[in-house]
Amino acid sequence: MLEVKKLSKRFGGLTAVNEVSLSVAKAEIVALIGPNGAGKTTLFNLIAGAMPRDGGEVVFDGRNLPHQGSAATCLAGLARTYQIPQLFTSMTVLDTVLVAGLCRGSSIRLARIEAMDVLARVGLAGREDQASSTLTISGKKRLEVARALATQPRVLLLDEVMAGLNLSEVNGLLETIRELRAGGMTILLVEHNIDAVLNIADRVIVMDQGRKIADGLPREVLSQPEVIRSYLGDGYAVA
Amino acid sequence: MNLHRIDYRDGDALGAVLLVAIAIGLPFAVADRFYLNLLFLILLYGGLASAWNLLGGYAGQFSLGHTAFFGIGAYSSTLLYTMAGVSPWLGALGGMAISMALAFLISYPVFRLRGVFFAMATIAVGETVRIVLLWYRRIADIPYGISIDYKPGFGRMIFAEPRSYALMAGIFLLLVVGVCYAVSRSRAGYYLQALRDNEDAAQAVGIDLRRYKLIAFLISAAFTSLGGTLMAQYVLYIEPSTVFNTTISIDVALMSILGGIGTLWGPLLGAAVTMPLQEFLRDWLGSAGAGAHLVVYGALLVVIVMLLPQGIVGAWKDRSAKRRRHGGQHARG
Amino acid sequence: MPLLEVRDVHASYGDTEVLFGVDMHVGEGEVVAIVGSNGAGKTTLMRTIARLMPANRGDLWFGGESLSPLATHEAVEQGLVYVPEGRRLFPRLSVRTNLELGAYSPRARDQRDATLETIFQLFPVLKQRESQLAGTLSGGEQQMCAIGRGLMSKPRLLMVDEVSLGLAPVIVSKVYEAIAQIRQLGTTVLLVEQNVRQAIKAADRGYVIKHGRVVLSGSSDELMGNPEVRKAYLGM
Repeated sequence: MLEVKKLSKRFGGLTAVNEVSLSVAKAEIVALIGPNGAGKTTLFNLIAGAMPRDGGEVVFDGRNLPHQGSAATCLAGLARTYQIPQLFTSMTVLDTVLVAGLCRGSSIRLARIEAMDVLARVGLAGREDQASSTLTISGKKRLEVARALATQPRVLLLDEVMAGLNLSEVNGLLETIRELRAGGMTILLVEHNIDAVLNIADRVIVMDQGRKIADGLPREVLSQPEVIRSYLGDGYAVA
Repeated sequence: MNLHRIDYRDGDALGAVLLVAIAIGLPFAVADRFYLNLLFLILLYGGLASAWNLLGGYAGQFSLGHTAFFGIGAYSSTLLYTMAGVSPWLGALGGMAISMALAFLISYPVFRLRGVFFAMATIAVGETVRIVLLWYRRIADIPYGISIDYKPGFGRMIFAEPRSYALMAGIFLLLVVGVCYAVSRSRAGYYLQALRDNEDAAQAVGIDLRRYKLIAFLISAAFTSLGGTLMAQYVLYIEPSTVFNTTISIDVALMSILGGIGTLWGPLLGAAVTMPLQEFLRDWLGSAGAGAHLVVYGALLVVIVMLLPQGIVGAWKDRSAKRRRHGGQHARG
Repeated sequence: MPLLEVRDVHASYGDTEVLFGVDMHVGEGEVVAIVGSNGAGKTTLMRTIARLMPANRGDLWFGGESLSPLATHEAVEQGLVYVPEGRRLFPRLSVRTNLELGAYSPRARDQRDATLETIFQLFPVLKQRESQLAGTLSGGEQQMCAIGRGLMSKPRLLMVDEVSLGLAPVIVSKVYEAIAQIRQLGTTVLLVEQNVRQAIKAADRGYVIKHGRVVLSGSSDELMGNPEVRKAYLGM
């Protein structure tokens, strides 16, 4: 469904993403992990069209996707959330999702009905008229997901969606993500919460210093010496 | 555009009736000449501020250069009338076209700027147009100030009665607010609100920032220009320093802020407060000299903004929200 | 009695709770490391101790006195100095000026020139680049300058957040050599480090933080190569 080929990005002298390739199959959940400064967020932003590439391609559902900015990427069918919720501060919960649904050309009335449905799917039913800025962090994260879903994507890009949530909130959100996959959604998520990753990911990709250093089943990847070394340094490899 | 896809809400009809009563009813209800003239100014500036508000309030693009469009409107209709005998009704359209063209031309560079820098760039635009006009007088034979002969006639947009002017301004106000209403309740309205709140997130949900900022800009420029024509036809005398004046740019922004930026009623309320205030202070203190009335005016504005940071409409909404909250359950779910 | 004592500290950013009851202590003359994966709460803990943010619950004690009522600059005057993550130098000021600004409190200002000499001996490269603008230094040099600036306040406890972030391994060794010397000079050090091995090599003791709690603690020997540490990071 989504294929990334040798994607690169440089900031001045620093190569933040160095010819990274990966693929995500339909209805697969792939987690992108790695220590601080590994380049995960930059790669994420490249795929989401938020910044131009210095090299490589993104192939979406068989079609090559040139860099056209985040609005065009969204219309193509890749929706993203933000690690720190970027809400529409003056809008209610419902309007936030409504405005996202308008990009598919529906009337406001129809977009409103669909928005209510999306809100129910992420567990925010009943909060439609609440000011989005008064939500708890868990609510804001769910709203971010709802807003992305309203654009009717085929691939969902989640940026550290678990950050700041407590254990029960994480489990709740994992449940929601599982339901999305059951509905056929393809998901690529950047995460620091390894427990959550072990819980939900079909595959794990590890980045370190701009390169991909591992790609495979979660438990296999997390016991690879190179992965352990990137997080902990020498001496902690699985015996 | 999708004007037929307007999302009507409860209470809109009532608001419309009230606005019509003010815009059309008041000019007939008021008899005193002085007050009719004041009403003209309030209604006209209410419309001008509403036009600004579409760009500055709804789209969040805080322009301080709208006098450029005001002046273009005034000069276009006046020049076309005095030099070619074109009716100001048509001349107004010419002015609107030129203003929209200018808006379109500068939109590309100017919308790349955000916040303070955008405002500064727009001030520069306002000043530039004025200076270009002054410079142009060296090659073309346009007098510094242009007067229009007082010859009442509908086709010439010159009226004998202040009531007629007030009525015309009222219709202008209805037109501007009507369009703002239609935009705000349409898809474009939602998009403008989104891009005002968070441009990055707005893009991430598929909104073409440039397109919608431009739509707001064009409409705003066109109506400001129309207002300039109406003012020219009221005063019957224009010169660069009166119609290309940064004070006008500031006034329309100020009225919107005082009344409630980004709301439908805010600009009109702001005009309704500041215009009489200016008049009153000028009467009272104008003779005291040294711009005393301006000092007091400025001080009063500061006080009002400090007391009502969300404007009059904002404060009213807060109070009714608080009343609702105390009567019912928590807002937090 | 330990120099720094942290008891049952809870802290949050807005409505996001980050620390859920952290207990730890640092003895005088020790080097203690805090490790843990990203988002675990290491920097939050440091910032709470440094009084850059409040603790919702729990106690902080420094040198026997309660730390909680103090503002950040008051904590600095007491000798608790925090070197922030990402260095945060003043880029358009010279190296020398950055260092001199570190000696802000009256007590430190009196000894400023002497301390400056010590720092230049500790980090010779800073002496070489004395008049250069801090923003033009390399990552490692910036880290040294930041630590130097911290030292200018004559701390009893020096807290360094994310020592090796963004630095090449060779430079990291140099920085840790300097930290060892700092300890020799009598300053207690509390550091946050992502690279566990590096941290534990340099420290006497360590705490492993996960999801805002201390999940493991012990001496360097106990933590070195300990599979429990790996589990705390990678879950297995």
